[in-house]
Formats: sequence, C-alpha cells, structure tokens
Amino acid sequence: MKKHFSARAKWLIVIAILLAMGITVFHAVSTRRPGQTVVQTILAPFRSAGSTLVRQVERYYDYVFQYESLQAENKALREQIMAMEEDVRSADSLQRENERLHQLLGLVEEHKDYKRKAAYIISWNGSNWKSAFTIDKGTGSGIEEGMVAITEYGQVVGLVTESGPNWSTVTTVLDSALGISASVASSGYTGKVEGALATGSEGLLRMNYLPTDSVLRNNDQVLTTGSTVYPRGLIIGYITNAGFDETGVAKYALLRPAADLDNLEQVFIITDYEN
Amino acid sequence: MLSHLHITARQWRTALKWTLYAASLLLTMILQTVILAKHPPLGLKLNPVPLLLVCVCVREGPEGGGLFALLSALFWCLSGADYGNLSVAILPVGAILSAVLCRSVLTTRFFPTFLCCLVVSAIHDSVIFCLKLLLAAGSPAYYTAVVLPGILLSMVLMPLIYLLVKAVHKTGGSYDL
Repeated sequence: MKKHFSARAKWLIVIAILLAMGITVFHAVSTRRPGQTVVQTILAPFRSAGSTLVRQVERYYDYVFQYESLQAENKALREQIMAMEEDVRSADSLQRENERLHQLLGLVEEHKDYKRKAAYIISWNGSNWKSAFTIDKGTGSGIEEGMVAITEYGQVVGLVTESGPNWSTVTTVLDSALGISASVASSGYTGKVEGALATGSEGLLRMNYLPTDSVLRNNDQVLTTGSTVYPRGLIIGYITNAGFDETGVAKYALLRPAADLDNLEQVFIITDYEN
Repeated sequence: MLSHLHITARQWRTALKWTLYAASLLLTMILQTVILAKHPPLGLKLNPVPLLLVCVCVREGPEGGGLFALLSALFWCLSGADYGNLSVAILPVGAILSAVLCRSVLTTRFFPTFLCCLVVSAIHDSVIFCLKLLLAAGSPAYYTAVVLPGILLSMVLMPLIYLLVKAVHKTGGSYDL
C-alpha cells in the first residue's frame, strides 16, 4: 500500500482539500467568478454545437418515428379547427365588444413595453440539486444577471443568475433558490412562490404565506405581482393543491408551473420594461 | 518530423494520451449537460464525470491520474457544477484512494474499478445531499427517491467509460511512429 501511496499522491490530496477550501472562502466573500466566466465562455461553443446536433437528431427522429402519430394529430387538429372556426365567428362580435369596453375602462394593452431577446437553450444543469440551464446569449447581446426569462406565451421560466460574454445561466422557477412575489388572479391573495426542488414535491412550486382564511381553488392562475425584477402580470402557474404550513398559521398552495420546462428549446429574456 | 519539434516519441505518446483523456472529459460533460440532463432516463439525472475520473486514476496511477482528477474537478467546478467546491476535494481524493486501493490490494480490472466508482459517486452525492439537508434545502425522502437511484443508474454508463479509458490508455501506449 505504502509503495503506491507516494508523497506526491499525498500532496495532491492536500492541494485538493486546500483548493476546495479556498474556492469556498472566495465564493463566500466575493460575488465575482472570473474562473467560471473563462471556463463557461470556452465551453459555450461546444455546448452550442452539441445542442444543435441534438436538436437535429431529435427532428430527424420525430420525422422518422412519429410520422403516423403526427398524421393522426393533424387529422384531430383539422377537426378542432373546424369547430374553432365556428367559435371564432361568434367570438368576433364578443371581441369587438371587449375592445370597446377596454377602451372605455382606459386599460392599456399588457406587456407592450417589454423588450425581449430570444435565446436557445444549449445545456441543462446536470445535477439533481439545481434546476437551471445555459442559453446561447450573454452580456454581448445585452443580457445581464437579474433579467427574467419567459416563454412566448408570457409564462415565467426563471431568472438569469449568471452571465458571460456568450452565455447566461437561467435558474428556473423550480429551483428553491428563487422567490417570486405573486398573487392569485381570481381572488387577489398574495404570497411568495418558491421552487419545491429536493423538498419532496419535485416539479411543483410552492406559494407560501397565504392568509389563513384564504379560499383557493384548483387551476386558479397565479401571477407575478410586479417588483424591481419581475414585471407585473406574468403567469407563474396553476394551483393544484393547498394546505396549512408547519406553523399551522399560514396557508400554502402547490402550483403546477405554467411553462412546460421539460420541453423548452427557446426562451425570451426581458431586457427592459417600464416598471 | 518529431525531431524538429524536439520531442521524443515517448513524450508524444504521453501528450496524445492526456489530450485524449481531456477530450473524453469534455465529451462526458457535454453528454451530461446537453443530452442526459435534457432527457433524463427514468426522470433521473445521471452523473458520469466522477466515473471517468476514477477510471482514469485507477488506470494511470495515483500520481498522474490524481493530477488529472484534480484539474478535471477544478474545470468541472468552474463550468458551473453545483457544489463544485466540494467536488474539487471529494473527487480527486476519492480517485487517488481508489487508485491506491486497486493497485495495492485489488486489481485494475473492471469489477474493482466498478466498485470504487460506485463508492466515490455515492460519497460525492451523499456529502452534497447532507450539506443540502443541513441548509434545510432538501428532504430525506429526496435521497431515496432521486439521489440514490441516480447514483445506481449512473453506473450503467460505467462499462462504456471503462472501455473508453482502456482504449485511450492503449492508444497512447501503443502509438508507433
């Protein structure tokens, strides 16, 4: 054993432990990550190339193996369109009435002030401890830490937590590190939405600090209340369950995220909005 | 041609071998973050990087392999891995101890390497989980439902990584000018 456990090997162990301690201390005292920026910048083109390759393979796979199911889906969608066209005709008159009422109330069109930047997801966080992904745009495209990532439908995906020249890390709403001020659309109850990753409710969000007497219904929409980070009125999720928290004083609700995080390919970063 | 570069054939072989190991690490990282993290098998995220580091260390010995494990763990930490600072300590130490154990008590064949990989992966993920538990950001049920199955499922990749490392070792060693 001693023959193989040389002095150099022992030194490597000591260096590894010291290095780990050094990194921990550095992360505790500084928010700057110079090494990480360099490594992520080097890795970004490789991840981007890998991601593009995977997307192409997925498209080819879908084309070859899902042709029949797509054909059936197409037929079902055609029937759905026929039914919807009927609905649209009657909805048109309601729409005109709605527009008039909106003007009457002086409401402005929502989210018109958002400036968005589209970005593709190039890699996902590989661990079970965090829910995050890397996108192919960074400070070079005007994306900075603290900007919100949404889908094309205005559903909250997450927050840009790190940014480099050609990459950014978006921590998703599922991660327990994020907290968003939110309100239930139908009733106006406010609370704080947090990710439930690693707490036994994987894939769900938890809305905490709801009033004890609040009445919550399944599928109630939960929206952002607006803050310096999150614009007002973005869809976070839908209520699936509710209960009292550990203290028995406040209520909490479990939410299903509005954004389909498992099948995301592209996100939009809100680079600016009127607060 | 090599004489113009002032490097011997042996040095060239060594350089080629370590370059291929570095490329393997990059490939493993891309596999983990681009493919396996997007399409997690059975909903579990696999972690093949510790397996690669242990395999290389067992194959190359605690000194060369240990240095590779240390630099790779540092690179992995800087690439944005969660609790990467812990990985910088756990992975090289685990890999070096595995190499010492395999070379002195066991052998460097598949089964002992497999056992070492399993133990190092389990220690790595368990330490991170304990830290999360201490920080009140995890539940014990998560360990049995996600972490432990994830470690075991990651071992499915072990034969592939073992063969890759064996091939790189052989290619580097048998390179003939």
